[in-house]
Amino acid sequence: MSIGSPGSTVGVEDHPASAEPERAKGVAHGKSPTRIAMDRLRKDKVAIVCASIVLFFVLIAIFAPLLAKLEGGNIADFNPKLIDEFGFPTIGVTPDHWFGVEPRTGRDNFARWVFGARPSLQVAFTATVFGTVVGVVMGLMAGFLGGWVDRVISWVIDFVLSLPYLLFAIALVPIVESWRGGSMNLTPEQQSSTRFFVLIFVLSFFGWAGLARIIRGEVLSLREREFVLAAKAIGVSTPRILFRELLPNLVAPIVISASLALPAYVTAEAGLSFLGVGLIEPTPSWGQTIATATNWFQADPIYLWLPVGAITILVLSLALLGDSIRDAFDPKTRR
Amino acid sequence: MLYFLGRRILSALSVVLVTLVATFALFFIAPTDPAAAICGERNCPQQRYEEIKKGLGLDQPKVKQFADYLEGLAVGRTYINGGVERECKAPCLGYSFKNDRPVLEMLGNRVPVTVSLVAGAAIIMLTVGVTIGSMAAKRRGTAGDRVLVTSTLVISSIPYYIVALMIALYLTIFYPILPRGSWTPPTDNIGKWVAGLVTPWLVLGLVNMTQYVRYSRGSMVETLNEDFIRTARAKGLSDRVVTYKHALRSGLIPVITIFGLDVAGMLAGAIFTERIFDLPGLGNLVLESLVNFDLPVIMGTVLVSSIFLVTANVIVDIVYSLIDPRVRLS
Repeated sequence: MSIGSPGSTVGVEDHPASAEPERAKGVAHGKSPTRIAMDRLRKDKVAIVCASIVLFFVLIAIFAPLLAKLEGGNIADFNPKLIDEFGFPTIGVTPDHWFGVEPRTGRDNFARWVFGARPSLQVAFTATVFGTVVGVVMGLMAGFLGGWVDRVISWVIDFVLSLPYLLFAIALVPIVESWRGGSMNLTPEQQSSTRFFVLIFVLSFFGWAGLARIIRGEVLSLREREFVLAAKAIGVSTPRILFRELLPNLVAPIVISASLALPAYVTAEAGLSFLGVGLIEPTPSWGQTIATATNWFQADPIYLWLPVGAITILVLSLALLGDSIRDAFDPKTRR
Repeated sequence: MLYFLGRRILSALSVVLVTLVATFALFFIAPTDPAAAICGERNCPQQRYEEIKKGLGLDQPKVKQFADYLEGLAVGRTYINGGVERECKAPCLGYSFKNDRPVLEMLGNRVPVTVSLVAGAAIIMLTVGVTIGSMAAKRRGTAGDRVLVTSTLVISSIPYYIVALMIALYLTIFYPILPRGSWTPPTDNIGKWVAGLVTPWLVLGLVNMTQYVRYSRGSMVETLNEDFIRTARAKGLSDRVVTYKHALRSGLIPVITIFGLDVAGMLAGAIFTERIFDLPGLGNLVLESLVNFDLPVIMGTVLVSSIFLVTANVIVDIVYSLIDPRVRLS
């Protein structure tokens, strides 16, 4: 990147980035808050470990079909030969079935476990993206436009936040399902995929309000600042002010809120599936496996501990990572 | 003060009213078909289907249904089903689609369970959490403090239902160290009531306590650095009095706010605890009603829970304004 030796001014005017080598000598000179946060995160051992664990699960989810093929198992194959007349599996860990088989159905545990990582992460990531986008847009509009737009949006935010979240989420699942044709007229596959979208809808519906409130507050103070006034004065359009001037100043709250939302959504998805209102057969999901496995936990502990361990470790890493990210963005914390 | 109270209660009422409209819109205007659900899945004779629909009042226009529901809530209404008239006194939440019992009575049977569960857990949560938190604040920076803070962070990051489930499975069934969860009304047998609830109390209370350790520790650390604490020390008061009488009183204010909201949230959402320990509370009622699409019951529960939540919000605000006069001015 450097044009000319440090100290020379050749090309500096046209390429401001070329001034970097010189700056690097000084300490924390003109770094953006995001850069500072990234530097802090890189030095944070807990964050690195947690990020690696999360990455591990993401890779499992992405390469689930490959991993299942490697083992030779299949999520849908029933193996009645491997279970006895009472439904208990007759085999433990074997080269063919790395984690044994499911009680009653004899389906391969390993395959269902690796595929179970998919819905968890897909639901959580999609809901986070939706919740964040809606929250940011609503917060920006309410804070910047003010007037009746602000009043309406603020009222909706207050309303959503005052609803009993878990109860509504549970009650909403069959309702939204019925918008898509009702549970009775669908095949199990259709119903299962419907549930997937219902979950995303319900989670993002309750997820956007908190962020919107934070963004609104930030925008209220930002919009009086000189750079926004200047942009207005030279006639920059409102959407451009919102997304090009204001949004870059809101990176920290957005990243923090998203990183704390992720573990909450993984927890919620598995929890709702555990209660029977989330994902259902034939989609493999950890929460649902836990619900079934509680009936077999004495005879077949591995069946229970696989999803329990996975969810615990994944949520714990995501939560601690979110915590580290929040600390990294917070100028007040010093280590 | 009176003006503040009035305004606060009015705004709470508006939220309850809108919750009512929203739940009604969701559950009744949505193209759901409880009549078909009651009649039994696919092969339902048309005539029987129409009869059920009429009996439930589902053949009426939606606006009329809502007006009837509101009327029932405010002054009561009369149900006519198959020539039989039934008086449903206000506040009338209708009859269950499934077993034809008054929803209010069903809720009345469930509320004591949830309230007993939450009350016990809340006491554990607040007392143990605040005690440990203020002890940690006093010993701030020591190894014990750091271990405590880290462990509470880790415990509160693990999904609650996993912890509860594992304790239920391994400590009440596999190794029966703790009694299993069950429900006996305290009026019947108070010993059995305690025995059936002690494990859920401990689990719900101790897991949620971890947040209170963090809240109260943070709040106490701040308070202990304030000038009035230094003054109290300078006066020669004992360490005990300074920490637990002067600092705790002021440091507890933010904790109490969160506590009020948490208790309300638990009343509306102790679903996992109720499900895992098999307690017939409000949350379990919703899960049972979902299977049959029992709209009046679901709606009644949602409504009652929302009222809990909104009321708790109001109480917290009022208590807060009593403790801290600055709130009223803003």
